[in-house]
Amino acid sequence: MVSDQDHQAVVEFLYREARLADEARYAEWLALWTDDAVYWVPASTDPAADPETRISHIYDNRNRLETRIKLLQTGHRYSQEPASLMRRLISNIEVTAEPDGELVAGSNFILAELAVQARSEMHWWVGRTTHQLRRLDGALRLRLKKVVLINAAEPLPNLSFLI
Amino acid sequence: MSTPDREPGARVDYKALVEDDRIHASLYTDPRIFADEMERIFHRGWVFVGHASEIPRAGDYVTRRLGAQPVIMVRGREGQVSVFVNRCRHRGTMLCPAERGHARTFACPYHGWTYDIDGALLGVPYPGGYAALDRSEYGLEAAPRVSSYRGFVFASFAATGIPLLEHLGAATRLIDRSCDLSPTGEIELTAGWVKHRCAANWKVLPENDSDGYHLGFVHLALFKTVRMQYQRVVGDEKAIKAVVRDWGHGHIEIDWSPGYQGPFEWFGGASGPVVADFVAALERRDGPELARRRIMQGPAHALIFPNLFLGETNIAIVEPVDVEECVHWHTPMFWAGVPQFNGRLLRMAEAGMGPASFLMPEDLIVAARNQQGLRARTPEWLLLSRGLNREYVDEQGRAVSHVTDETTNRALWRHYRAVMTEA
Repeated sequence: MVSDQDHQAVVEFLYREARLADEARYAEWLALWTDDAVYWVPASTDPAADPETRISHIYDNRNRLETRIKLLQTGHRYSQEPASLMRRLISNIEVTAEPDGELVAGSNFILAELAVQARSEMHWWVGRTTHQLRRLDGALRLRLKKVVLINAAEPLPNLSFLI
Repeated sequence: MSTPDREPGARVDYKALVEDDRIHASLYTDPRIFADEMERIFHRGWVFVGHASEIPRAGDYVTRRLGAQPVIMVRGREGQVSVFVNRCRHRGTMLCPAERGHARTFACPYHGWTYDIDGALLGVPYPGGYAALDRSEYGLEAAPRVSSYRGFVFASFAATGIPLLEHLGAATRLIDRSCDLSPTGEIELTAGWVKHRCAANWKVLPENDSDGYHLGFVHLALFKTVRMQYQRVVGDEKAIKAVVRDWGHGHIEIDWSPGYQGPFEWFGGASGPVVADFVAALERRDGPELARRRIMQGPAHALIFPNLFLGETNIAIVEPVDVEECVHWHTPMFWAGVPQFNGRLLRMAEAGMGPASFLMPEDLIVAARNQQGLRARTPEWLLLSRGLNREYVDEQGRAVSHVTDETTNRALWRHYRAVMTEA
């Protein structure tokens, strides 16, 4: 069981993380992560897909996550220059606690992206996210974010924003 | 004015649209030209379908599109690879919706017609409705010519034409260069494919995959952020040693290796036991000298006309969708027997290619901007002349030039013109 207080803290974290990603606030978003971060977007909807043998869209450790953010901050990441206009809705949140104290949240999302880099196009991204959160110095930090898109195995447009 | 405006039904004059040093913008925007390409290039010509390692056992299959046509590539009972049109002979229903799988039979969901993995029609429910249906005449429609080279399976829907080996010509050496880096000589495409949607005409992708001029501009963000193997192509023009090369039949290459100063530059440098084991395995097979040459040179960076891209440590497919849309598929090229090495190839694939990678999103957004620009009715022509002042023919008869030159584009378009105008 998760306390009401923990549940509320997780929900607030999810909303804040979503808003920072939507608004392309890269440095603040990166600061949410732990040093042993894993940011994973599989290229398959198969729950058994092993990231060590099957290709992913994103399988970043902390180092690669920092590179991802630095690229966006150069001003020359043309697939996000200018940045897409985005808003995402998060719902169906379920929170559980691991024996080691980590909080695990599953949630659904719908993300509307107006990609403005060539011809303005509206892209819809839908999926379920798993957040693994750890308390560090009193604040929740993100250890793992796994985003399973319903169309993960289909042809996707650019996904160089923060999903 | 040599204009793309034609009477409906008039034939396109490709000789007028493709000149030696410039091409007409309508080649990227005219739906009639796209329809001609689907017929002449993706139906009659040799087209890459998939790799034999994707379907190791009898009954294993993958589904693909050759041009607009849905096909099934399946391994048959005797181990042979067939390419069938993914369509029931009765009412045209697509038989198999899955991207990959294992089948004992292919059953149509509409009226239950059933085919075996060799394409034979096994069963027709309620046969009393036919006076005499000869089932042998209604097997799955097979590509009449299927041929492979080192596991790369190609198909043509023309009953006659040049053999695959003639189409590949000297470019078999590019495929060899990639496969011979595997300690067993075998590659395995088992990681699955990522598909990246591109809002541009399909020809932009083979052109861009073999364009050495754009790197320092399109990928400036990456060069500003990390060191990588292409670093030396963003320096002084005269100091760049990498070259482009025309292998004939539309097969074109960027060869980075003249600019490499050490082994494994194509792999992000060599260190650790993973690399040591790999080198030891290559040396056992090839001896130290040849093994060293292979790991200096690295795998090929080349386009095999029209749709197979040997993307160094990746294999990619160019899939046309319509005149203004295509899909770039890619998967890491695993080498048999070196799983830890392959683990790094997997992470490299995710860094380099695909919608969330550090390279391709920029390529494809520029491609989409190209497509927008090409909608303008004037100016009509695109330049293709870069490097004509300095390209040369090497001792093997191949045109070679500075890596930033359009020798590759010209070779592609010259072959295109030949294919689109042949009788």
